[in-house]
Amino acid sequence: MQQKLAINYTVNGQPYEAYIEPNRTLLEVVRDELRLTGAKEGCGTGDCGACSMIVNGKLVTSCLMLAPQADGAEITTIEGLAQDGQLHALQRAFIDTGGVQCGFCIPGMILAGKALLDRNPSPTEHEIREAIAGNLCRCTGYAKIVEAIAAAGRASQHEGALP
Amino acid sequence: MTTFQIIGKPITRVEGTHKVTGESVYAADIQLPGMLHCKLLRSPQAHARIVRIDASKALALPGVERVVTADDLPKPDAKRMGNRGSILLAIEETVFYGEPIAAVLARDLSTAEEAVDLIEVEYEPLPAVLDPIEAMRGDAPLARKPVQEIDRSEARGHTSVEMQEQGSGQPSNIASQAKFSRGDVEQGFAEADTIIERTWRSAMMHQGYIEPHATVADYNAASGELTVWTATQGQFFVRDQISLTLKIPETKIRVIGLELGGGFGGKISLMQPLVCALSRLVGKPVKYIFTRHDDLVGATPSPQCVVELKTGMQQDGSLTAIKAKVVYDSGAFPGAPAVVGGILIGGYYNFPNLEIEAYEVLTNKVSVGAIRAPGAHNVTFAIESHMDMMARALGLDPLEARAKNAVGKGDEMPSKMTYPSIGLKECLAAVGESELWQSRGKAAKESNGRKRGIGMAAGGWLGGLQPASAYVELNGDGTITVVVGANDITGTNTSFAQIASEELGVPLDRINVVTGDTKTAPFAGMSAGSKTLFTVGRAVKQAAEDARQQLFSIAAERLEANPDDMESTGGEIRVKGSPDKSIPFKRLAGITTGFGALYPPVIGRGAISARNQAPGFTAQACEVEVDTDTGDVTVLRWFSAQDAGLAINPLSVAGQIQGGTTQGIGIALWEEMLYDDTGRLLNPGFLDYRMPTAADVPPIETKIVEVPSDDGPYGARGVGEPSIIPAAAAVANAIEDAIGVRVTEAPITPERILRALGKI
Repeated sequence: MQQKLAINYTVNGQPYEAYIEPNRTLLEVVRDELRLTGAKEGCGTGDCGACSMIVNGKLVTSCLMLAPQADGAEITTIEGLAQDGQLHALQRAFIDTGGVQCGFCIPGMILAGKALLDRNPSPTEHEIREAIAGNLCRCTGYAKIVEAIAAAGRASQHEGALP
Repeated sequence: MTTFQIIGKPITRVEGTHKVTGESVYAADIQLPGMLHCKLLRSPQAHARIVRIDASKALALPGVERVVTADDLPKPDAKRMGNRGSILLAIEETVFYGEPIAAVLARDLSTAEEAVDLIEVEYEPLPAVLDPIEAMRGDAPLARKPVQEIDRSEARGHTSVEMQEQGSGQPSNIASQAKFSRGDVEQGFAEADTIIERTWRSAMMHQGYIEPHATVADYNAASGELTVWTATQGQFFVRDQISLTLKIPETKIRVIGLELGGGFGGKISLMQPLVCALSRLVGKPVKYIFTRHDDLVGATPSPQCVVELKTGMQQDGSLTAIKAKVVYDSGAFPGAPAVVGGILIGGYYNFPNLEIEAYEVLTNKVSVGAIRAPGAHNVTFAIESHMDMMARALGLDPLEARAKNAVGKGDEMPSKMTYPSIGLKECLAAVGESELWQSRGKAAKESNGRKRGIGMAAGGWLGGLQPASAYVELNGDGTITVVVGANDITGTNTSFAQIASEELGVPLDRINVVTGDTKTAPFAGMSAGSKTLFTVGRAVKQAAEDARQQLFSIAAERLEANPDDMESTGGEIRVKGSPDKSIPFKRLAGITTGFGALYPPVIGRGAISARNQAPGFTAQACEVEVDTDTGDVTVLRWFSAQDAGLAINPLSVAGQIQGGTTQGIGIALWEEMLYDDTGRLLNPGFLDYRMPTAADVPPIETKIVEVPSDDGPYGARGVGEPSIIPAAAAVANAIEDAIGVRVTEAPITPERILRALGKI
């Protein structure tokens, strides 16, 4: 048994404190301790992107980040995107374009899309494909996911800044 | 032509909101109080006798509850020892690298992981056989003790072909073989103007679902009841396997097939019986989640295949003969699709003469299972390359040469079954009309020193059959609940809602489709073989028709009209032609479910047997760019046409086509499980097992062809599988168009291209 550490995160705007072994990953702590299970583990080696979260504004594969490394961080998970019962433009677009099939990659994929649109609200198709190249999807062939991110970008341009 | 209200419309997923918010529950999300975590010690040997297992050091680790070996588990029946599903943990010998040897149960995962490394096993290595062609030789060592009886129940879920398969008489590594013949092949080859003869290899590859295998089992010793939360395409099949293995009656087993993070044939039943057995041993809930490494070394990938093929064609494009030997490497247990491979290789075109033999061969590798259209992509790589090569040799158009010989309704398969209505010719015509194919000969053949080429290929899948059932109920507020037992892996619940909406004339938002578990749901076969909509969809349609008839009878009595004069539309039942004589569903609900109701509740029942397949065909074209210095291939454009019979939900159908095509591109260019000469997997992770990323593939243009099936709901036919089939051949044909050389091994890696070019 290792000595436990107290760590603090702000997750989706809410403060959390967890008391954990220092060798645990951010993904494990968010899923098992905070019980936010939207982020998925597909590989555990940072190759598939299913565990993607936005940590201090940057997209990370949370299966590769040790939980204490994120102490004090602002973290956005998929659970934090919908506000007041309203889906985020990206969530809406993923449903509307048919970008959702089995759904396992989708939390990570949507956050990868958000990280892109936050820095580049009107990306080209090539830029979208590059931005999600670290997120594997086995169901869709990516076509409708790329459409969804482009559509969400257009919608947010139309409606003003993304929430 | 019938006009539909909601059938044929692009409808977004009924469960979409749950999936985009992260609320959908997958098996790994299940946490139970007091739950133990499982890790498996996997064999480091391809073939060895297990001399001794010493778990004392592992057991001494604080937090370890139990270490389990085969000695602690129910013994399989002797005649079932040859089946992977019966061997929960290796018994006396291990037959593939990655085979489960022992299970550790611990209070947390990291303790379980640590304990696995502390188990000491003494192995006595046995001769291993790794190559299927070598394994077929008479003097080859046996990959395992002779197979006595092969359980085909899982394979039958994918395609209903079971003909002429023979077990092997003498002990050998050939688990099964099939032979088909027609006419006189030697005469056929004598009449040919060109004959192509080549050997084709396609690699072992993985279904690559992003969600690893996951199961939580909770055995209640007091009641004898077992609850299982699992990732499966077939919850009833899992229940049956658990019942068979653990000798627990099916009434005591509740299998809950949760949201499934991809299956593609690879998630039927694998670890569930073991996890249940472990839970029963310790009397506590047990959770076992595969790592990606576990999944790559120890699941049920798609077989390696070697095809020796000889085909002949005349100058006018007529085919004369096919001679084929198809060998699937099944790994250490039977499970490779030899029969279907033998049928498909000679089943796309009308060969007057044919001689086909197909083999399922055991080796000391992980045993294989189904993949989207199991076995089809392997043989299609061979036959669809030959079609191009023969046409090229004779100066014929490759598309026209195919169309001239393509099978249609009434044509005979090598198995002597005849095709029902199918759409191969229509798919070929769609490719012919596509902008991509039309640009052939007009598009630039070179860009920045890279050569460009266009190719095409076709393929088909016979489709699975299993009985299915469904309920359609009227709720107290006039809404509708549809209950099915099929696990939704492709958007089928959305299509079931469309079917109920269409039949009952009720808006889609007043219909809820529920997938029950094995204790509550009406039976359905596994969601595999492109058959869920084809079979369960028929049951839902029948159940909705039954419910409608019940509603008509009640409404007719209330409205003093004849039930035959009723129609259901806009959420009410009314007398045809008299819109003022109507009764809304809400009122009907009241008088069938309220206190003192005059009429019984409305519950429609649908139950169907499925006896006739509805084969699905596809034809695809692509443009590639090849760097002749590096051998690198870029896919520039892709067009996929596929016959859906009738697309109940074109949004789902297009998504299936795009996804399957992309898996096919992975098979064509990158995906290969590589084994070293001791039988160890060299690339057990997603970094080295390369699946297509968004940056690797072009947008895939889809064209839905609709040739109605005879039996499917509204003429629909299976959609899931065909799209994966032709890509390797289409890419190989485009590469020859670009650089004039033929690659006979898939994936078509840069190294194989440079070899074909004679550069290395």
